[in-house]
Parts: sequence; C-alpha cells; structure tokens
Amino acid sequence: MSSLRRRLSPYFLLGPGTIWLIVFFVVPLYFMAKLSLESGAVGSLEFDWNWSNYSEALSEYDTQFVRSFVYAGAATLLALVIAYPLAYAIAFKAGRWRNVMLFAVVAPFFTTYLIRTIAWETILSDESPVTEFLHAVGLAPSGHILATSWAVIAGLTYNFLPFMILPIYASLERIDVRLIEAGKDLYASAAQTFLRVTLPLSAPGVVAGTLLTFIPAAGDYVNAQFLGGAGNRMIGNVIQSLYLSQADYPSAAALSFVLMALIMIAVVIYIRFAGSEALMGEDTV
Amino acid sequence: MVSSKKEPRRISALVAVLVAAAALALGLAACGGGGGGIEGGGETEAAEKVKLEGKPSGELTISNWPLYIDKKTVPDFEKASGVSVKYIEDINSNEEFFNKMQPLLGQGESGGRSIFVLADYMVTKMHKLGYLQEFDKAGLPEVEKNLVASLQHPAFDPNRDYTAPWQSGMTGVIVNKETAPNVKSVCDLFESQYKGKVDFLNEVRETVPLVMKCEGVDPNEATEADWMKAIEKIKGAADSGQIRRFTGNDYARDLTSGDAVAVIGWSGDAVQLQEDNPDLEWRMPTEGCMLWSEDMVIPIGAPNPTAAEAFMNYVYEPEVQANIAEYVNYVTPVEGVKEVLAKRDPELAKNQLIFPSASFTKNCSATPVFKSEEEEQKVIKAFDSVLNG
Repeated sequence: MSSLRRRLSPYFLLGPGTIWLIVFFVVPLYFMAKLSLESGAVGSLEFDWNWSNYSEALSEYDTQFVRSFVYAGAATLLALVIAYPLAYAIAFKAGRWRNVMLFAVVAPFFTTYLIRTIAWETILSDESPVTEFLHAVGLAPSGHILATSWAVIAGLTYNFLPFMILPIYASLERIDVRLIEAGKDLYASAAQTFLRVTLPLSAPGVVAGTLLTFIPAAGDYVNAQFLGGAGNRMIGNVIQSLYLSQADYPSAAALSFVLMALIMIAVVIYIRFAGSEALMGEDTV
Repeated sequence: MVSSKKEPRRISALVAVLVAAAALALGLAACGGGGGGIEGGGETEAAEKVKLEGKPSGELTISNWPLYIDKKTVPDFEKASGVSVKYIEDINSNEEFFNKMQPLLGQGESGGRSIFVLADYMVTKMHKLGYLQEFDKAGLPEVEKNLVASLQHPAFDPNRDYTAPWQSGMTGVIVNKETAPNVKSVCDLFESQYKGKVDFLNEVRETVPLVMKCEGVDPNEATEADWMKAIEKIKGAADSGQIRRFTGNDYARDLTSGDAVAVIGWSGDAVQLQEDNPDLEWRMPTEGCMLWSEDMVIPIGAPNPTAAEAFMNYVYEPEVQANIAEYVNYVTPVEGVKEVLAKRDPELAKNQLIFPSASFTKNCSATPVFKSEEEEQKVIKAFDSVLNG
C-alpha cells in the first residue's frame, strides 16, 4: 500500500502541471497545426493539407523574420553587456546593498509591461533630453530615435534585461570564492582569474539568460508596435495583423509554426555550441 | 536533472502517462472542434427581425468605440427608462472587432451584446452574412423623425431597415499650425521638409482614397490599378522614412509630443486635441476629405432588443444628442441639435466640423465600395504589407 503510494506520488505531483500543459499548450498547438494546413477564407475554411501556407508565409515575410532575429540578437547582446557587470557587482561588490540592488532589478515588474514600454515613447520622444543629447553627440543623425530600429532594440533590451541579470547573478553568487582565491594564489592576474575561473563558472547563467532574453524578444510585438515606425514591424506584428485585421488564420498559424521552428533550431545550435552542460550546470564544481 | 537510477518500469509508466495525456488531448480537441470552428453562418437564412416586448426594462449591453459618448447620456437613459446599461468601449478597429465576434455570430450569438457601433462598410458586410436584425420601426419614432435628410437613404441600406447612424465624420489632415503651417493638402504630406514627422492612418478605406485624391483620382471610380498605384506611393514614402509610422487614434500622442507635425486624422479628434495644444487643427485638404459614418446595429441573438431600440431612440432626441455632440465633436446625424447647441454654446453651433455646410464638404468622397471580394482582399493585403513594412 505505502509502496504503491510512493510509486504513484510523482505522477500526482506532475498531474497539475501536465494537465495545464495539455489544456493550454498541446490542445491549442493541435488546433494551430490543423489551422495552418487549411485553405479558404474565414467562414469556409477547409482542411486539405495545404502546405503552400508555409512556403508562402516564408517567402512573403522573410524580411520580417530576418528583422525579428536581428533585433532580438542585438537586444540579447546589449542586455548581456549591460547585465554581466551589473550581476557581477551585485554578487561580489554590493555587500549589504545586495538585496536593495536585487530589488531594484525586479522592481520594474511591479508595473505592467505595456506601461513600461509606453513610458519609453516619452523617454525617446523627439524633443526629449535623451534624444537631443544623442543628436548632439552625433548618434541620432536623422534627429529621431523613436520610430526607428534603435528604439525597438532599446525597448527589447530594457524589457528583457532582468531575465538576463537574474540567472547570471544566480550563477555568480554560487561560485565558491576559494576557487578565485586559489587562482590568485597560483599567480594568475585578475584578468586571468576572471577568464579562467569566474567566467566559465558563470557560463550556465549566461546561457540561460541569453535564452530567456532571445526567445521572448524574437516573438515580441509590443515594442515594435509602440516604439517602432513604418518599416520596423517584427514577425509578431505580422502574425497579429494576419489574425485580427486580415482574418487569414491559416497563414498566421503557419507563420507561428515557422517562428517556433526557427527559434528551436537557433536554440539547439546555440546549446550545441555552448554545451548543454553549461546550461544545466552539471559540471560547475 | 533526472537522476541516473532509471528503472525500466518507471519509464514504461511514464510512457503510459504520456499516451494517456495525448489521448485526453485528442479527446478534448475533438470536443472543441465544434466550438472552435468558424462557420459561415446564416447566409441562407432570412434576416431576423426585432420583436418588441412591452416596455423596455432589464439589462442592456452596448459595444462602442472609446471616448465616443459623453458621461451623462447613459446614466440619464438608465434613470429615464429603468433599463440598466453595461456600456463597454471594446471596439478599436472594425476588422478586429468583426474577427473577434464572428465565431459567435456564426452560431447566432452576440456575446451578450445588443448594440454594436461599426462603420458603414462593416455593417454592410455583416448584413450580407445574416448577422444583423432588422429594426421594428415602431420602437424608433425619434430616429424616424430626426435623422438628417442626407443620411436617410444610403445605398447599402436605402430605408435604414437595420442601421441607425451613431456619428459621422471627416477624414482629412490634422496639422500643427506652428511647425507645419503650409500643409494644406494630402499631397503636402509627401513634402520632404516634413520627413519623419508625418503619420498616416492605418485604415485602408481612408488613407488610400485620400492619396488617390492627391493623385487626381476619384476614389469612387477607382480601378484596382488606381488602388495599387496609391498604395505604391504610400509604400515609397514609408520606405524612405517620410512617413514616421502608421497609427490609429494614437496619432494624438505624436501630435501632442511634437513627434509628428501633420497627420491624416479624424475631424472630431482635432477638436478634443485643441484642448491640449491650441496649435493643432483639422484642415479640410484642398483635394477634399473622406466622409464616413458609423452605425448602431442590433446583432442576431442580441438579448433584450426592446431596450436596445429604446436606447437608439433615446440618443435621437435632440437634447440628448446635443450632449453627445458637445463631447465627441463629430458630425451629428440628428436634426435639431444645432438649435439646441446654439442656445448653450453659440460658438460650437457655428463649428464647421460638427455642422459642416454643403459647400465645405463639396469635394469630399464617401467611403468607396470595392467592386468584388477579390479586389477587396488584394487591396487589403497590399496595404497590410505596407503597414508591416
């Protein structure tokens, strides 16, 4: 009796998560897959293995796919450059301010994503001090930042920054400082210790952070909607407009699958390259 | 990570759970099939007609656009009629609203709503699909009496059997007098001195015809080639950075912040924007404007149509409509409002944007109707691909 219960308990524990996943992921995914292979207009959609939805979606919206990946890549890179030193400072230099600084990283989440993005409209507005400064130093030759690629990338970077900081912080914080001391004891310079000891040990955080930033950023449409202008739409905007304004459900569903597939391919290649051990933190010690 | 002590039995149990889960998913999917599908709906059914039942009472749900009614009308109506009104501002785009409601309407349901307010072309489309009820005019004496003559017999509903105008308006240019004093036409928006400071509306039926007018083409006589040529011109301006972005009502933000100096915009908005910034004004383009109106309709399956007609009738009383006109500043479809406003606010009664004279709108065009569904789809697709850059 008790052994049976022990054997079954993992499945009971998995139950709520599994049901959630089935109802809100597997079932919608099945509908979307079916929809992506239908043809005709709304009202007379028919399932007929219409694979041309995929080829047309890809050939018609390749620009927006490339753009989405470029924006998301740039935002991820920027976020990494900003997040790493910050996470490092919080983990090793903040002392008693550590919790305050961590709170400051998370605090923006108390305001909704949408409002924070709209706030950037004001920050980057043409007559704002930020834009005037950038214009004065020659970084905004056209005189505006808002409604350009740069504004979209800035918005994406800002919005997903905490997802980069927190995993990096978590992996840095776990590092046994004795390892760093050992590096110094063995006459490594500060730079060498960082490159040979700290950086490899924090790799799992970097990999997790880049994934947590890149994946949502590639599918995002809010930043392009508010901060972008004509010619800055991302693939998420296209999918939204296909669903809601053109009512071309099959193409929208096909695009969603292509996006999912492309992100998965990119992630697999990245993990291969970075090493899955780094992500899982299997050999951190 | 999963521990390395994997027992074969456990794996097979896991597989069993996954199989069960997949089966459940398929089962659910099969159940959902009926609800999730999109049906063409009552194309073949005869149009439903409103059945009036005694005095209006109970509850009434109305879907309208944001900021499209004053604060008094709904509570006043509730007091006068005893109907309790749920007034929701959930329409932001004709297409989006239609696409959201269609799965319900296809099954003869209205999502609990009894009145929608949508553009002429959209209500025409919904009527063709059998999604709207015909009015019982016994419940609408004020509408019969006070609807302005120019709106009584539109081509899409010659006897106003299933539509009653909510407001009309004009699409033209809104400019900042200080920074863009010389913008007087739609053509002027393409001048290079305003590069990156111009917003265009994301409405295909307004933006493209206005650009056609700039090209000297009458939108109501336009061929598919004319549409495509105008869209091409807009695309060129978007690619070169002339057009800052395509907007809906949110051009208001760009105008008040100074990010845009001239936009294609709606007449009523300009009057409201002037309160923020007196330099902003709506101008009748030298090519003429686009005229449109939006109609109240009663969808099929609407609960309490008696109360719905009572509300429509109520807003056609000149005193009530005057409150709405004062607030929204669009062109009112109700006769007698001008006289009411002349007593309250003589300046407003003289405003050409609320009471345009025939000579003021002489070059304006009505919203064009596409010659075929194929043409409509092609044009919308071409315009959307410009919007998506």
